[in-house]
Amino acid sequence: MKTFIKSAVASALVVSFAGLPVIAEANVPLKHDSEYVIDGKIYGMPKAKIYRDDYNGPAVVGDYVTMVPHLAELDYKGNKEHEVRMDVFSQKVEVAPGVSYNAWTFGGSVPGPVLHVREGDRVVFKMKNRSTEEVVITKPFKGASPYFDQIAANQLQKHQPVVAPMPHSMDFHSGTVAADDKWATIAPGETIEFEWIANYAGTYMYHCGTSSVLMHTAMGQYGAVVVSPKEGYPTDKEVDQEYVIVQSEMYLEQMGDEYIYDHSAALARDPSHVVFNGHVSALSENPLKSNAGDRVRIHFLNAGPSGTSSFHVIGAIFDKVWAEGDPRNTWYGMQTVLLGASSSATVEFIVPEEGVYKLVDHEFADAERGAAGALYAGPRKK
Amino acid sequence: MYKWLSVLSMVVAAQAAAEPVIIPAGEYKPAVLLDETVEVVVMPAFKLDAAPVTYAQYLEFVSENSKWQRDNIAAIFHDGNYLKSWPGNEQVPAEYEDKAVTQVSWFAARAYCDAQGGRLPTLDEWEYASNYYLQQQNLSDKAYAQMLFARNSNPTAYSKQHVDANIEHLEYMHNRVNEWVEDYQLLLTNGDDNDLLAGSCGDSARFMADFGDASYATFFRYQSRSNYRPQSTTSTLGFRCAYDMEK
Repeated sequence: MKTFIKSAVASALVVSFAGLPVIAEANVPLKHDSEYVIDGKIYGMPKAKIYRDDYNGPAVVGDYVTMVPHLAELDYKGNKEHEVRMDVFSQKVEVAPGVSYNAWTFGGSVPGPVLHVREGDRVVFKMKNRSTEEVVITKPFKGASPYFDQIAANQLQKHQPVVAPMPHSMDFHSGTVAADDKWATIAPGETIEFEWIANYAGTYMYHCGTSSVLMHTAMGQYGAVVVSPKEGYPTDKEVDQEYVIVQSEMYLEQMGDEYIYDHSAALARDPSHVVFNGHVSALSENPLKSNAGDRVRIHFLNAGPSGTSSFHVIGAIFDKVWAEGDPRNTWYGMQTVLLGASSSATVEFIVPEEGVYKLVDHEFADAERGAAGALYAGPRKK
Repeated sequence: MYKWLSVLSMVVAAQAAAEPVIIPAGEYKPAVLLDETVEVVVMPAFKLDAAPVTYAQYLEFVSENSKWQRDNIAAIFHDGNYLKSWPGNEQVPAEYEDKAVTQVSWFAARAYCDAQGGRLPTLDEWEYASNYYLQQQNLSDKAYAQMLFARNSNPTAYSKQHVDANIEHLEYMHNRVNEWVEDYQLLLTNGDDNDLLAGSCGDSARFMADFGDASYATFFRYQSRSNYRPQSTTSTLGFRCAYDMEK
C-alpha cells in the first residue's frame, strides 16, 4: 500500500514540473491495492459490490447533494471522500400543468439530484433499487442530504410515491471505470456499491444504462454531477450566483386519464415536452435571481436523451464558456451554446441591467415545447 | 376463520376448474433474435394455463406444501420478500384471491408448476403463445406496445382476473404481470451465459428482428425479465404453467 501512495506523490510532482498547477493537498490518498496513478489521476477501482440489505433510510444522502437549480458550496479545502446515496424508485411527477406520469427516478425527482464534488475527490456511491416500495421524499428525513429540504420547499412536480418494479442501473459519466461491474443492473431489493474518482473537472451526466436505455432515460433517470476544478475557474471570485440547469425531452402520450411513455415518439425524436429542470414551468414559477451587473454562472447539461440544445439567454452574451465545464476549454463571447445529448457547458454572463432575461433552447421547436425559463434581475447593488 | 375458509374453497374450486388451453403447433418469428441463424422457430403443440396463477390457487399449493409457505421457504430460494404481503402462512391479503399471484421467485414458480404436473413454459413457448394470443385478440402492434409500456409505469398486477371455467383461449397475457419462464436468463443476462455487451446503453439493435412498436415492446419485456435473479420477487412478477400434450 505504501508504494502506491508514493507513486501518487511522485506523479503529482511530475505534473508540477511540467508547469501545470497542482495543489499539494489535492490528492486523495490511494485506498485500494488495485489503484494506480497516471497524470495525477487515480484509476483501478475495486469491483462493485451487489448485495441485499434492509435499508429504508433517506433515499438521498450526501452533504453536497442538492435539487436543481441549487449547487452545494464546497466548504472544504483540497479533496475529500464523499459518501453518496441515490436510491432508485418510481415517483409520480408533474412535467407540465395537468400532465403527470409515473417516472423512474434517482432520488424521486426528474432530473435527479445534483452532486457537487471537487476534481480529485473520491465518491463512495450506494444505490438501492427500491422500485417495489413507495418511497416518500416530501418529508424531512434525519441524515438526508440538503436535497430533501429543497424538494419540500418546491413542490412544482407534486411528487407522489408509486410502485413500478423494474431492474435499474447507474452510469456516472464523471467516473472512469469499467462499466461491466460498476454500471451493472440490479434487481429490485438489491443494492450496488462502488467507488469512482472525479478525475476530470466538468459537468457530467449520470443516467440509468439498463436496456432499453432510451426508455429508462426518457422515463426520468438522469441528472448532473458538477466537478469543480481543483484550481477553480479563473472568475471564481467575481461570480455572484451559480446555478445548474438540466435540459431533457419527455415523450408522453395520453392514455385515459394518465400519461404514459411513448416509445414510438422517442424513437422518432418527437418529444411531447422539452423541459429545463424537469417541468415546463420550473424556471418561470421559480426564476433564477440576480442583480444588474452580477456575473452569473450556469452549469448547463443537455441530458437528451436524443435531442440537441442551443442554449441562449435573451439579452445577454456569454462572456466565457467552458465546454463540458473543463477550465482548459475556454470560449469567449458566445450568443448560443450548442450541446449534443449528454454534453454540458459552464457559461457565465454579465447581467446587463434590471429586468427579465429569458433562458431558451434557441431551437424554437424545443422552446415552444417547454424549454424556456427566466432570470429576474433586480437593481444594481455594487 | 371457518367462514373465511369456506368462501375461499369455493373460489379455489372455481379457479381450479379452468383447463389449460391447447396451443397448436406452428411456426413463429421471434421479435428478439436469440440466435442470429434462427429466424423462424418451429413449435410443437403444448398446453398453457389460460391465465396467470392466482393467489387462491397459490394458497392451495402452499397449504399442501408447507415448505413453500412464507415463513418456511429456504432462504436460498428467495430474496427476502417472498409472499411478503400475505398476513399469514395460509392467508392471502384481503380480496386478493382472484388476482395474479406475485412476490413469487422463479424457484417457487417452478415448484408450483411441478406440483400441478406441469412446468414453467420455455421462453419460446411463452412468446409463441403471446403471438397466438395477439392474433386471437386482433390487437394491433401499437395497442400491444401501449399495453406493455403502460404496464411498466402503471402496474396492472393489482386488478382481478375473471376466467370462465370453460375458456378455450388465453387471457391476461399482457395486462396483468410479467411472467417467469423456464429459461428467462437466456438473453442478455447477468449470469454466466451473457452477451458481452448485455444490451445495455443502447446496444440492442443487434438483437432486434425489426424496429417496430411491437418488437421494441417485446424486447423491453424480455430484457427487464432477464435482469431479475431467480430469487427475485416483486409485486409485478407472476407466472403461469405449461404442460406437455399427452402422448
